[in-house]
Amino acid sequence: MLETLQNLYVGFSVALAPTVFLYAVIGCVIGTLVGVLPGIGPLAGISLLLPASFGMDATSAIVLLAGIYYGAMYGGSTTSILMRIPGEAASVMTCIDGYAMTRNGRAGPALAIAAVGSYIAGTVSVVALMLLAPPLANFALRFGPPEYFALLTLGLLALAYMSGGSIVKSLAMAALGLLLGMIGIDPMTGFFRFSYGLVELGDGIGVVPVAVGLFGLSEILLTAGQEKPPEVIKPKLADLLPSREEWRDSTWPIARGTVLGFLIGIVPGSAHIIASFVSYAVERRVSKHPERFGHGAIAGVAGPESANNSATSGAFVPMLALGVPSGPIPAVMLAALMVHGISPGPLLIQQQPKLFWGFIASMYVGNVVLLILNLPLVGLFVNILRVPYSLLYPAILVFCVLGVYAVNGSVVDVWIMIVMGALGYALRKFDFETAPVVLGVVLAPMLEMSFRQSLAMSSGSYAIFFQRPIAVSMLAGGAALLLLSLLPILTKSMDWRRALGLDEKSD
Amino acid sequence: MTTNRISGATLSLFSVWVIWESRKLPLGTFHNPGPAFMPVLLASLLLVFGILITVTGGSAERFHTLQWKELPHAAVIVVACICSALALERLGYRITIFLILFVLVKFVEKRAWLGATLFALALSFGSFYLFYTLLRVPLPLGPWGI
Amino acid sequence: MKRITLIVLCVCVFLGAPLRLPAQETFPSRPITIVVPFPPGGVADLTARPVAAAMEKIIKQPVVVVNKTGAAGAVGMSFVANSKPDGYNLLMALSSISIIPEADKLFDRQPAYTMDQLVPLALISADPTILVVGADHPWKSVKDFVADAKKRPGEISYSSSGVYGTLHMAMELLSHAAGIKLKHVPYGGAGPALTAVLGGHQDALASGPAVVIPHIKGGKLRPLAGWGAKRVASLPDVATFKELGYDAEFYIWAGMFAPRGTPEPLLQKLRNVLRETVQQAEFKDAMAKMETPIAYMDAPEFQKFWDKDAKVLAEAIKRIGRIEEPK
Repeated sequence: MLETLQNLYVGFSVALAPTVFLYAVIGCVIGTLVGVLPGIGPLAGISLLLPASFGMDATSAIVLLAGIYYGAMYGGSTTSILMRIPGEAASVMTCIDGYAMTRNGRAGPALAIAAVGSYIAGTVSVVALMLLAPPLANFALRFGPPEYFALLTLGLLALAYMSGGSIVKSLAMAALGLLLGMIGIDPMTGFFRFSYGLVELGDGIGVVPVAVGLFGLSEILLTAGQEKPPEVIKPKLADLLPSREEWRDSTWPIARGTVLGFLIGIVPGSAHIIASFVSYAVERRVSKHPERFGHGAIAGVAGPESANNSATSGAFVPMLALGVPSGPIPAVMLAALMVHGISPGPLLIQQQPKLFWGFIASMYVGNVVLLILNLPLVGLFVNILRVPYSLLYPAILVFCVLGVYAVNGSVVDVWIMIVMGALGYALRKFDFETAPVVLGVVLAPMLEMSFRQSLAMSSGSYAIFFQRPIAVSMLAGGAALLLLSLLPILTKSMDWRRALGLDEKSD
Repeated sequence: MTTNRISGATLSLFSVWVIWESRKLPLGTFHNPGPAFMPVLLASLLLVFGILITVTGGSAERFHTLQWKELPHAAVIVVACICSALALERLGYRITIFLILFVLVKFVEKRAWLGATLFALALSFGSFYLFYTLLRVPLPLGPWGI
Repeated sequence: MKRITLIVLCVCVFLGAPLRLPAQETFPSRPITIVVPFPPGGVADLTARPVAAAMEKIIKQPVVVVNKTGAAGAVGMSFVANSKPDGYNLLMALSSISIIPEADKLFDRQPAYTMDQLVPLALISADPTILVVGADHPWKSVKDFVADAKKRPGEISYSSSGVYGTLHMAMELLSHAAGIKLKHVPYGGAGPALTAVLGGHQDALASGPAVVIPHIKGGKLRPLAGWGAKRVASLPDVATFKELGYDAEFYIWAGMFAPRGTPEPLLQKLRNVLRETVQQAEFKDAMAKMETPIAYMDAPEFQKFWDKDAKVLAEAIKRIGRIEEPK
């Protein structure tokens, strides 16, 4: 413990050195900007600015990139809440209740809670990262394909709590999303599936154009043409801050989101999106007012936003402790270290204590910087809503095109966004929810890959899912959850039968 | 016809089409799933859900009660998006975005000439400067480097 | 709306046209783009960045690296193959450039590009892959490994960066040379493939040396042999397959290409620039930091190397054939 504190002291002396501190601030600002832009999330942001970090020393470079990473996670919620456009893929769930809060005139509190939740989650998870990294990293490595499959199946269960409407309709939407996720090269055999000669579809359709199209563009299509333009919401100063009740309703969701996000985040893979989905489902499950979800429940913002931020730190656990590229973002950061001649590996913490502890300390600093940066911005961002919609929506449209294009520099992505926008418009006209489609697109490639990898490992035996302790306990947990969620449906249908019986009697 | 009947039937037809399209790919076996395994499985699930929606959809909203007042406007916006996708790598980011914004604000939203021009200019060049010049996001340049 | 577009277009043409003409005389007169068909942080990207930085100093024009990713690199490669052959669009490709057209052939697909659409400019680096196994496995040498694989055909597993990817090819060459059968479990990239071996989910992996050396030093992985003609400088104790009598040679190489049809003087100029580039101290320094040795070859030599490599890979792909079901 004393040693940790000493190390942390060294770390802070590195992180608060003027140049390193400056880079942390720059990283946070850039990350916020990139995150606010629809579509461009942390991965695209880091990738774009990776070359700029080549000229710096290793510590500054990694601090800058980490700043961009969690800056983007903070910023991603802004457009989700204000315009129903996911700033990055992990903010999809924030769109639902965040935007509903905006329509209720509570945009300020939603943004403030998102920022505070992110801050708490970010800070607590750094503490966990600092104290628990090595043992947790070894645990994370035990996640092979069967475990991953079990985790994703658990993620699919989130579906049951995702929409207030008909369960069959959301299942159909999830199936549609999973089907869309099948497009592209089959990772196990190399067959092109449903690509119709388009090489660009080889890697499948990205989550970003699908999410921006289904959420953002469809919202514009539905709103812009209404006879009465949506009312310009003029926020009052008193409405900027969350009420006492909103604070109280967010406390536990933030706490649960933090723990959940961190645990899911350490699993190698792009888990931070799943973390926000699962957190939303959990909040809805434990809430005393599940009917409020979808209509502006603050818990539906606080939980997922905290979860995706603590998943950010969780993802660093295997990367720093073992030098394992545990996801696309840590992989880019490891590359940044290699460029500086530091070989990331299991000995990183011993060989580069200044880098490690400086990095940890800069994460504390970065979270404070982001909170200070984001809270005043709430007032500024909320004022965007004063712009009349006839000017606002063309601008939003431009940013959607810009953000979606910039992720891969691909016009095909813009086309996908347009098609998804039209599809989302039609689906919402017919009273379908679009969030399950996004969940399907996110999960499909990973689900199929881990399923078939597992079978390849076991030479076709399904027993592999039941022989490994982590996998089997997760699947059992999932089955229990499923039964729990079916219980009300069963009792309800009994009510319905009883009601019908009464009707028959009265006939 | 109710909305659910129509949407359920459409989803069912779509899933049948997916199953038909998967015939070109090897299905594999239960123990060795091939590339068509998951698509066929998922499409079959979608088919089941689609049929369920169709069958139970008798009591949903009637199709003709749906309001389509915003449809013309939405169609114009989609056309604008399509034009931007076509033009983006040919005319470059700034010209494309300027034109799209100008057309939307001036002709679709019927705002004043000067306001529309200034708005389109500021936003197209401003966003380009911020993201291309400062943040180094690669955006397409048109002919003559604009 | 159409008319306005036209007017704007005409104005642009008249404003732009006179500015453009005199600029064509010397090459290069505007920024050069190096297309990297893989995401940032990968081998191709990390090679292209220092090349671009060093080239800028020589030609006094900006050199921009653009990542055009998708379909295992096919998107970016076909982009350059079909771009204007004016010397301003170059490609930094890896060994997989020879694999994709062959895989397209195997599946009777319309090829995304063909190899003769591109001309080689220079080879920059060529890293032999290294066979590593988890340190808790009993195999101490290739002999143990091969003997065990013969005893239990199809049971020892290896991870790869993807089906028909470079790491899959390396293992296929070894399996063929040693006459063994291994279980292939593809992953979505070299990073996840490495993680799988570190986590003990798969047994073996062929990988570039730079990535695995820290894990070898940390005692998590054990190197058995390398695919190079010579031993890797940073792993002097690790023998090559050639030394051990297996005919398996494989490199993950990175080279620069231009679209075919680029005028000869421009190609000549670019080759000269690249020759100078690899001699820059700054470039050497950057490559040394990444533990990637420079293996420069000029175009004629590189063409021969490429032809030979492509032939070996084409044979390997035919041998693997279509994978209808995971083996």
